[in-house]
Amino acid sequence: MMLLGDIATGLLVSAGVVFFLAGTVGLLRFPDSMTRLHALTKADSLGLGLVVLGLLPQAASVLEALKLVAVWLLTQLAGATVTQLVARAIWRGGGRS
Amino acid sequence: MTVPAILRRGAGFLALWLVLAGLNPGDLPAAIVAVVAATWVSLRLLPPGDRIISLPGLGALAVRFPRQSLEAGIDVARRAFAPDLPLNVGTVGYTPRLPAGPARDAFLAYASLMPGTVPVSVNGGVTIMIHCLDTRQAVVQQMANDEARFIRMLGGADA
Repeated sequence: MMLLGDIATGLLVSAGVVFFLAGTVGLLRFPDSMTRLHALTKADSLGLGLVVLGLLPQAASVLEALKLVAVWLLTQLAGATVTQLVARAIWRGGGRS
Repeated sequence: MTVPAILRRGAGFLALWLVLAGLNPGDLPAAIVAVVAATWVSLRLLPPGDRIISLPGLGALAVRFPRQSLEAGIDVARRAFAPDLPLNVGTVGYTPRLPAGPARDAFLAYASLMPGTVPVSVNGGVTIMIHCLDTRQAVVQQMANDEARFIRMLGGADA
């Protein structure tokens, strides 16, 4: 069981890191602020989701697992809210470019 | 604003504190300050209403969310890593069924995490703009489906 958990952790956290990398590559390669926003919100939130999922088998207690999930939820909430604020600011600035 | 409503909100923040910081007597003063401040701000920004969130609706949204998050992340990653950067960027107009207000803002924030779309509310107008990575995708249909699910979660009967 421990081994299975460790394998799951390795696979999921590695996959998460790939998506963080994708978000950063998108941030560098995408042509304008709005498209970069897509890269960060979507790829990084999936990356974090996979890292959290991967760390759950390592949690020492239910409370620790809940804490991981709470951190993920708060990050999703903050990410989505900030995306909205940045998108509105870009739009107001007329910066569709 | 009723006392039970205030207590419920406070209990929620206290639970969140305990999950994040753990049960530690030395933290008590900080916990009290944080919980009271969070409850006060929360009640000011979002007064308790008579809107009851539908648990089956929330469940349906929660079950769907991981798949859509996966789809959204893979979509961005595929485009970011592709040598020819396959983007077909554009905006599409969309008229939400939710009226301008907190419920619509919550839906738009939620929809920013969905594949391929970042909705932008333009000065609180009736129509919003959806910024898409690829306008060839069925963006409006996807938005309408997600909004219907969101309204169901908010206890709306008509979705």
